[in-house]
Amino acid sequence: MRLEYYFRETASGLRRNGVVAFAAISTAFIALFLFGLALLIGKQLDIVIEDITRNVEVTIYLTDPVNPDTVAHLQTKLQDLSAVESAEFETKEEAYQRFVELFREQQTLVENTDPETIPASLRVKLTDTAQYEQVAAAMGCAPDEDTGLIVCTEPGVRQVRDYSALLERLNTIKGVLRYGMLFVAIVMLVSAVLLVANTLRMGMFARRKEIGIMRLVGATNWRIRAPFLIEGLVESLIGAIFAVIFLFGLKVIAIDRLRGEVAFLPLVRNSDVMTIAPWILLAATVIAVIAGTVGMRRFLDV
Amino acid sequence: MISLQRVSKTYPKGVNALEDVSIEIDKGEFVFLVGPSGSGKSTSLRLLLKEEEPTAGDVYVAGKNLQRLSSWSGVPKLRRNIGTVFQDFKLLQDKTVFENVAFALEVIGKPKHVIDTRVPEILEYVGLGEKLNNYPDELSGGEQQRVSIARACVNRPLVLLADEPTGNLDPNTSVDIMRLLDKVNKIGTTVLMATHDQAIVDAMRKRVIQLEGGRLVRDQSRGVYA
Repeated sequence: MRLEYYFRETASGLRRNGVVAFAAISTAFIALFLFGLALLIGKQLDIVIEDITRNVEVTIYLTDPVNPDTVAHLQTKLQDLSAVESAEFETKEEAYQRFVELFREQQTLVENTDPETIPASLRVKLTDTAQYEQVAAAMGCAPDEDTGLIVCTEPGVRQVRDYSALLERLNTIKGVLRYGMLFVAIVMLVSAVLLVANTLRMGMFARRKEIGIMRLVGATNWRIRAPFLIEGLVESLIGAIFAVIFLFGLKVIAIDRLRGEVAFLPLVRNSDVMTIAPWILLAATVIAVIAGTVGMRRFLDV
Repeated sequence: MISLQRVSKTYPKGVNALEDVSIEIDKGEFVFLVGPSGSGKSTSLRLLLKEEEPTAGDVYVAGKNLQRLSSWSGVPKLRRNIGTVFQDFKLLQDKTVFENVAFALEVIGKPKHVIDTRVPEILEYVGLGEKLNNYPDELSGGEQQRVSIARACVNRPLVLLADEPTGNLDPNTSVDIMRLLDKVNKIGTTVLMATHDQAIVDAMRKRVIQLEGGRLVRDQSRGVYA
């Protein structure tokens, strides 16, 4: 009986307010979609960053000519680091072979490169990739105060190439995208709150006579407000459901198509979309609660 | 049953709607509240429903001091004990006679079986047993007022407040409505009726309380209008 009453009131409220309810639902949808997109982009970049830190090794380029004693000394020193698994020596010849292999499509580049310019190196594999900075630190590498270039103090070491620069750039991109999206999402969420609150108010205005009678016969505040609160909740939850559906759609249409094109890049999966869905529903509930509080303030006190 | 103790009500603009009014009404009484427009009749009724707060003094209904009632539970409970009838009936046009009366029970959470027995019962009692499925605009003014009385009484209130219930009705219909209110009073409901209708007050010979400019000027048992 009670449930039926709330369902009936909510359904008739949505019907009566058709256009305004639609505006509220679509704003909630756009807001929640952008909110979800911001979360998804953050997730995607996390995945890329994790992948990069897992696969890429740290390379230590050595100065010419290479002294075997120095190499041995460096290898021992590297083995002592907790994050290092192995440090393999690559001669100039091996390095050149690898270079030729890597750029075999660009013969002109290969032809114009003097084998002498390709340095010998130590290729360091890490046990704990997050600790990659240990290597550069052990080699005494730090940015020069005047030029800003990385300078290494350890004898025989010319340069250490880790992924700090790449990671820094990715993190910057992540920050810009994520906070930009979140900012837009917040603006949209605020508009969603106002529009949902507005439909509630219009609904209450359309039904002011009923509300007046309800108050006179002794209906409680809660009983009077509940249908409107539920109406707001239903509106924002419909928006949320569409947002989740569209995020899935975006993932299937855009990202899965990309998967074939760029095989080396790890991409978000369906399960990642699933994990952000509860957050979208939570945000929808927050919209409804705030809209209810704003929309019904000083309207219905008995 | 109803008690106003040295009640004053001043509106923000400085209008004195009531000044130092004390009224005692016992259980089962039938009382007319008379006086010209703006004399404080409607304000008194609104105070009894706790739609407004007195500026000074205390209001009691059924032994409860209205000032102490909480808005989330006390005020709804108070209003469930008070039936209200108005000049303009306040019926919902998109609901049938049955639904209009059922609405009053529905919104205070009464179960369906209670609604299905009590609503036809009270409509039979007010003489509309045949018109359950009609809409308000298919009824005469007198019949509409009967629906609103049925709605006011369906939850068996202790007190019935009527604000100009015959104001929109012709004299013959008004007499019918007064008979019905008298019938409601006979089964133990305390009735307080604000009115301008001199003929009715003179014919009924009930207790008359007269207000003028917010002051109580007459309280007479078996009284007449003026």
